[in-house]
Amino acid sequence: MTTETVLAEIGDLIREVLDGYDLGAVPITPDTSFDADLAFESIDLVVLGTLLTERYGPGIDVAGFLSTRTLPEIITLRVGDLAGYVTARLEHA
Amino acid sequence: MTVEPVAVVGMAVLFPGAPDLDTYWRNIVTGTDSVTEAPPGYGLPASRRGGFLGDLGTVDPAALGVMPAALPLTEPDQLIALHVANAALADAGLEPGTCDPGRIGVILGRGGYLTPALSRFDQRVRGAHQLAHTLTELLPDLDPDTAARIRDAFADRLGPVSPGAEIGLVPNLAAARIAHRHGFGGPAYTVDGACASSLLAVDQAVAELARDRCDVVLAGGVHHAHDATLWSVFAGLGAVSPTGRSRPFTGATDGLVIGEGSGIVVLKRLADARRDGDRVYAVVRGTGVSGDAGAASLMNPVSAGQAAALRQAWSAAGLDPTDPDAVGLIEAHGTATAAGDACELATLRDVFGPGNPAVLGSVKALIGHTMPAAGIAGFVKAALAVHHGVLPPMPACDDPHPGLAATRFRPIPVARAWFGHTRRAAVNAFGFGGVNAHAVLEAAPAAGRPPRVREPLPVLRLAADTTDELAALLDRPPAVPSGTGRMRLAIVAPTARTLATARRVVAAGQPWRGRQDIWFSPRPLLAGGQGRIAFLYPGLEGEFEPRVADVAARMGRDLPLPGADGLHAHGVSVYRVSRLLDAALRDQGVRPDVLAGHSLGEWTAMAVAAGYHDGELEPVLEEFADAVRQVPDVVFAAIGAGTGTVEPFLAGTGVTVSHDNAPHQCVVCGPSGEVGKLLLALAGNGITGQVLPFRSGFHTPRLRPYVHRLTAAAELLDTRPWRTPLWSATTLAPYPDEPGAIRELFVRHLLEPVRFRALVERLHADGVRAFVQVGPGGLASLVHDVLRGHDHLAIAATTPRQTGLGRLTRVLAALWAEGAEPGGDLLAPRNPRSSSGATVRLSLGNPVVSLGEDAAALLGRTAVPAGSGDHRAAAVAAETARAAADVVAAVRRRAAPATTTTRRHLSLERLPYLRDHTFVQLPPGWPEPGDGFPVVPATDLIRHLCDAARPTASGVVTGVHDAGFDRWLAVAPPVTVTFAVDTDTSDRRRVTAQGYARATVAFSGAYPPAPPVWPQPAEPGRAPRLTATEMYAGRWMFHGPAYQGVTGIDGIGARHVHGTLTTPAAGGALLDSAAQLVGYWMTEELDGDNRAFPVALTALRLYGPDPAPGETLTCHVRIVAVTGGTVTADLQLVHDGTVWAEMHGWRLHRFTSDDAVRAVDRSPGTARLARRHEAGWHWATTHWADQASRDLIARTYLTPAEWALYQRRPARGRNAWLLGRIALKDAVRTMLTDPEVFPIELDTGNDEAGRPWITGRHGRRLPPLAVSIAHHGSIGVALARPYGPVGIDVLEVADRDDATVAAALTPAERELLGADRAVGFTRFFAAKEAAGKALGTGLGGNPHTLRVIAASDTEATVATTAGDLRVRLTDLHHEGRRHVVAWTTDREVLP
Repeated sequence: MTTETVLAEIGDLIREVLDGYDLGAVPITPDTSFDADLAFESIDLVVLGTLLTERYGPGIDVAGFLSTRTLPEIITLRVGDLAGYVTARLEHA
Repeated sequence: MTVEPVAVVGMAVLFPGAPDLDTYWRNIVTGTDSVTEAPPGYGLPASRRGGFLGDLGTVDPAALGVMPAALPLTEPDQLIALHVANAALADAGLEPGTCDPGRIGVILGRGGYLTPALSRFDQRVRGAHQLAHTLTELLPDLDPDTAARIRDAFADRLGPVSPGAEIGLVPNLAAARIAHRHGFGGPAYTVDGACASSLLAVDQAVAELARDRCDVVLAGGVHHAHDATLWSVFAGLGAVSPTGRSRPFTGATDGLVIGEGSGIVVLKRLADARRDGDRVYAVVRGTGVSGDAGAASLMNPVSAGQAAALRQAWSAAGLDPTDPDAVGLIEAHGTATAAGDACELATLRDVFGPGNPAVLGSVKALIGHTMPAAGIAGFVKAALAVHHGVLPPMPACDDPHPGLAATRFRPIPVARAWFGHTRRAAVNAFGFGGVNAHAVLEAAPAAGRPPRVREPLPVLRLAADTTDELAALLDRPPAVPSGTGRMRLAIVAPTARTLATARRVVAAGQPWRGRQDIWFSPRPLLAGGQGRIAFLYPGLEGEFEPRVADVAARMGRDLPLPGADGLHAHGVSVYRVSRLLDAALRDQGVRPDVLAGHSLGEWTAMAVAAGYHDGELEPVLEEFADAVRQVPDVVFAAIGAGTGTVEPFLAGTGVTVSHDNAPHQCVVCGPSGEVGKLLLALAGNGITGQVLPFRSGFHTPRLRPYVHRLTAAAELLDTRPWRTPLWSATTLAPYPDEPGAIRELFVRHLLEPVRFRALVERLHADGVRAFVQVGPGGLASLVHDVLRGHDHLAIAATTPRQTGLGRLTRVLAALWAEGAEPGGDLLAPRNPRSSSGATVRLSLGNPVVSLGEDAAALLGRTAVPAGSGDHRAAAVAAETARAAADVVAAVRRRAAPATTTTRRHLSLERLPYLRDHTFVQLPPGWPEPGDGFPVVPATDLIRHLCDAARPTASGVVTGVHDAGFDRWLAVAPPVTVTFAVDTDTSDRRRVTAQGYARATVAFSGAYPPAPPVWPQPAEPGRAPRLTATEMYAGRWMFHGPAYQGVTGIDGIGARHVHGTLTTPAAGGALLDSAAQLVGYWMTEELDGDNRAFPVALTALRLYGPDPAPGETLTCHVRIVAVTGGTVTADLQLVHDGTVWAEMHGWRLHRFTSDDAVRAVDRSPGTARLARRHEAGWHWATTHWADQASRDLIARTYLTPAEWALYQRRPARGRNAWLLGRIALKDAVRTMLTDPEVFPIELDTGNDEAGRPWITGRHGRRLPPLAVSIAHHGSIGVALARPYGPVGIDVLEVADRDDATVAAALTPAERELLGADRAVGFTRFFAAKEAAGKALGTGLGGNPHTLRVIAASDTEATVATTAGDLRVRLTDLHHEGRRHVVAWTTDREVLP
């Protein structure tokens, strides 16, 4: 599965987490920041993590992925970072 | 044997990236890596990475007593050491002269490296000689004169030589210069133990203090020797990192990078520091020093040798390093060399054993290895860490050194709050050749702060007749304050920062009273004996923290204070403090014209006015205390609102107003139960209140049964003539002279409310302009509140935030600035020697010497003239000019375009009157008028549109039609607006201010005949509730003086209002004033949403030229339509009985605003939008229906920097983000004693780990605060406490699916969830978030790292690596949604 496909699917899942909130002019790109662009809260990341595990299987452990990162890195986390992680896990699976 | 503990009472540093201590700490906490490539001027290849001062290596040589001519031969480290020592002494509050200078020592670590000045000297003496010699060898024909010329030219490039300057090359002067400059007589010397040097200095300083040879020792280290030779030495030893990164204790450890810097700490015996009331950063418990025996080579460290130093220090401290909780932080030597790090880790493993986990770091990761200054760099870091209670991080520690595993130490990636009872840290510094040093530091035990007598603070005083002259004096202050100028400026303890502020203040030309210790009065209030001075004596208040013992000591008086427990003790204490300050002020030459008191303070005023001595009045106080003790169960409560607001709540209760203090404060008195109910009712309406810690029925009729006892006591006082006029807060008039009348008033004072507000107003009306609060408490703030908008000075003669003498000095400076001539000795007759600002960047390196452009001439050759290029440039310029002329001519030939555009640059500088047309009210004297959001009023935009059209048409403007106003035109920051004019018909122009407004402007050769004046309205009218003056004074209109054209509101009815206008001079102000009448009508007649801004105007018709400023007009307003979103009105303006103008279809958009928003709008300094929860946190909710209304509130609450962030937030979270900031600012505002704190005075932000911080702007000082914010949906919450750690979270209750619950909670936590899973889950998650924030780590993306191990409906216990945290929980219902709020308590760690 390509990063592009994963990215598109993550975009859909993000919209699901945002629960119909109109992102308006904000397209979801690899550069989209969870905090600065999407105003994600902790609980939103947890929910997105479960959706990813549901979609791609138990090999996707977002909490585990995040715990390897520093706090500043988590705050500046971008959609592309997560897509890269998912793609890499899928390739190794 | 344990050693006497030594206190660190002052510190200062100059390290890469850190010009001062605050920045150093901020860099440490945020893990900011200041290692860079070599800047120019160091003579190193740019690829050399290290810790460099660069431009930070700047000092003011004259201020340090060094002549500029001596600079080339003065070693920079001497100047930097003196500079840093001065800062450390200032930080210690130990201005030279406060203790016996003969017993102050200076010991600095310094290496014997080739330092920049010495290297330059070597070049001059040997290099120049060598050059001439080599040239002569190579060119045998070179004549000796030429060789000599080249030698001299080379030497000249190294700077001039002044005789005797060579003393600046003597290495030990780094320490000796400090002692010499300050006249210290203790030992002053440098020590060299390589990289252990500065800890050796600390060790020796501790010994000097222990053997009582010194009372104070400055200890530290200096290293400024980025010489190519030093780099070569370390590179040759294989110690320099090839990657140029300092990464101690990681897998990337590949060597050190060289840094530079200086650090100095001020050390005293702990007992002395306690006695002197010093702030103690940390206590040095023990130090140890050892050598390496049996090393394989001079370069190889020996762990056993290091361990000996460590064990020695711990033994000196009387502590066991293997104790599991012995240490929380190791500031390691950590050179990042393979051998060094491995050996040091082995030492730590052996000495500290297994024990509890602790944090390890080395500041070398941020600034490189500062060699002999390395020990002090680490020492200061460790002292700051124990002082602040923060465990600092180390960057790039995610790849740990394998040797760490065997120790109990780990670096952490982000800063963390330091839990635990005793915060203890230890510092290593190990030197080449086997010299080891170690120091054990711990947080100072809490202690009271007795006062300290200090020398007078320097005060800069300047006077001039114009602001320009004053500005010039600021740049070059005269030695003696000149008293001739009209304007006065006083700055207490001026610094570069406050001088810069003062320049802005003077340029603004507006009075400035006290912020940043600056007082500026362009029209001094007391000059020429016009304004009068009142002394106001306080009564009892909630807080009693006098800092006057130094004043008493200076006056040679004993000041026994019985404390504030009980009415009698409290009363006597306040009375004695007031009498002391009264005497001290008079001693300094301040003479009051009037005396008055607040409540019990009126007795103090009587005693002063009559000249009673303490033994006469105090028995009356005792009798009073005894009598009121018998008044049954009544309490006082201070309420944060005026009597007008509070009185409706008092109806039907037994509670009465006892003190009418100020527009935003009164005190009520009544039975405790009823007062409690009242406070609840008030809190429900957003009004805060607090029960005061003393009881009596003073100033209420409840005291009547006991009055006879008091009057009997008062009879003891014989009446004497008043020496100074004394005013009564009961009658609002001077006290009578006749004894019977005095006694009668004495009784009324006991039984009737204190009318302090009215008294202050009367005193002001009577000419009092300076109000000095003579005693503790907050009377000066009350005076400010009463006299808002009127020129006055109100200042307290004591405050808990400053020393007694420091405060008195400020009072004298303030009075002097207002034209008084106190004449006492606290204001020295000379201005302080200014730092001239002539700073010099020191040459910290040694670039290759270049002989310059004329070098070749030295050999007798002529340099090729560079003129040819100039000729070419001139030709190009001529060509360009010709081409430009052609273009201009072509443009002129073209027909006039259909559209004419002009650009106008609009700014506050060009339109200064817009300072009076700002949406946001600013604190008085605020230096950034742009923060108020000044906008061009719609009526002035009309004027600009007309101005743009005028050159394209002839005649006068007779009408403006179909005007639309699209967007606020804000002028700060300045803006350039394009005006486009299209010809509609021959006499009409369509004009657009692009992006802001548009209209059609009609021209005619003459004004049309005026229409008839409108008849009186048919509908009934009534008197308006407010006068025009009250409308502006109460901020019902936001307009400042330049736009206050309404001078009468003459009648109002259901559909009309009419008033009188006096033409102001400001642009568009006459029509704006007319429009203000519409705004006033809305305020009186509409319920809610009565803030409005114009969006359209159908027609403006003009029947004559603009009235001149000062001319009077009448204005009739007819309200023609009111809808939920708009109000439309027609207006007619009549001048001398003839209609001058009519406005038809003036349409306003109504913004959503409820009472809370309106209150913030009118009184941003006191009103708060957020509510306080009884648990102490604040919460804010949405008060707006549309974005424009929200933006207006955001403008009031946010600083420009925050506003920029707010606008960058995604639309989804912007509302919640704003609510969080509002909650935080309001939470902090309630913690400050000053009743008026504007949100815009507080700046907030987040560090890179997301943790919020808050700080004051423009002189607003905040106490240390720990804060936390959370927001969710339409709720923002915040928690602020004087100390950390704190965490808060808010989350809406929602049922989550199984997967989410499993991802967020561990199986054990899921077991604990109650029956209602949605509620339980929300509580658990919020509790974990709150705990994560308190730890400073958040959940780190992995909710399993923190675990709830016990929970109830109101509390959860969260297990963390730092111990178990208790988190409280509550439900919060808002707009039909249920939320959970979780917050950590102040006793967060469970035993």
